Amino acid sequence: MEELVLNLKKQIIEALNLADMTPEDIEDDAPLFGEGLGLDSIDALELIVMMEREYGIRIKDPSAGKEIFKSVNTMAEFVKANRTK
Amino acid sequence: MGNVDRRRIYIKRATHISIQSPMSESWMREPRLTRESYVRSEDPQFREWLNPMESRRLSNILKRALVTAIKVKRDSGIEQPEAVITGTGLGCIENTELFLNQLCREGEELLKPTYFMQSTHNTVSSLIGINGKIHGYNSTYSHKGVSFDSALMDAIVQMRLGDINNALVTGNDEITPTYFSILKRSGYVGQEGQVPAGEASVAMMLTTDAEDTLCEIEDFKMVYRKENIGEDTLNTAGPVDAILMGLSGERSNDEAYRDIEGKLPKAPILRYKHLFGESYTASGLGVYAAAQMLKEGTVPAVMRVDGGEPIEGVRRIFVVNHSDGREYTFLTMRRAE
Repeated sequence: MEELVLNLKKQIIEALNLADMTPEDIEDDAPLFGEGLGLDSIDALELIVMMEREYGIRIKDPSAGKEIFKSVNTMAEFVKANRTK
Repeated sequence: MGNVDRRRIYIKRATHISIQSPMSESWMREPRLTRESYVRSEDPQFREWLNPMESRRLSNILKRALVTAIKVKRDSGIEQPEAVITGTGLGCIENTELFLNQLCREGEELLKPTYFMQSTHNTVSSLIGINGKIHGYNSTYSHKGVSFDSALMDAIVQMRLGDINNALVTGNDEITPTYFSILKRSGYVGQEGQVPAGEASVAMMLTTDAEDTLCEIEDFKMVYRKENIGEDTLNTAGPVDAILMGLSGERSNDEAYRDIEGKLPKAPILRYKHLFGESYTASGLGVYAAAQMLKEGTVPAVMRVDGGEPIEGVRRIFVVNHSDGREYTFLTMRRAE
């Protein structure tokens, strides 16, 4: 799980072009949107594409994204349970 | 524009990001001359102007457009102009290439949305509007070599009609290595004796307020066919001290200027593309350079085609541009009193 969390942080940094950040700057439980990392709706689109590309997960219900992308930990839990690659 | 009331129009502030030192007039004293056929713009420290979190998704053309717009708005004291009008020949070509390359490489699924959203021509002007919360008129012109001139004409007409009192006019083009190789094959740039291909970002604030300006735009005309260029097209209110042309070393481009030279007022010929490079919005840098020369009252020797001495006490510059030997534009610019 620790390795998955670290990989997710690296992938988020690359997908969202957070050039000045390192995985250590992103807390496992910190909110990704609004407060915390301060991502926006375009970032959400990028994360949906990244999840499908990297883990073969297609998020069909957009409203589910709110829970999935709550933090890196919630993303990791979702990936662990649903990944196809 | 014949029947439009002659409200006086001024350039209050203007700046650039180009192959010369960015957002600086040092080119007038220490111009950079290069033998390279392709030079990317020298960018300023974007971090000093843009929040890194906000700018992380922006390509270079968007950062340059935003920063030049922010500087001109700040320096002119007009934070929310009544119009934002942009000329761009290629739009966001870098993002377009990234998007298309990914499409070719990976198919039509899982494409990055940011590249797609920021690949259109009107991304530039709309971003300036969104960033500055400017909710007025917002438009983009993409007409090859007269893209900037078309944007300028739109602003002038609206100001002469009394619809607006100020406008932020910008010109932005980036040249990627791939696009340079295409332009080189066409002979537009990259040949022996030609000026370098150079990226261009220019922003200027136009206003009807005469106070504290760089210069006045005394007259503007656009003529599609050179056969239709007549005495009334070139009639200026007084003597012209210099004529600024977009000479580039490309045969057909330079011939299009020579073809009409006999119709122009008699004055020393100036050039600017050897300093700022060739691009579809290079003419915006010509207008910027003329405005700064009028403000300083000096034409540096490096601008003169005949290699003559600097011209002091400059009061009126005639700026000529064209695209493919058509769509000639004639701009009379006068030193502000």
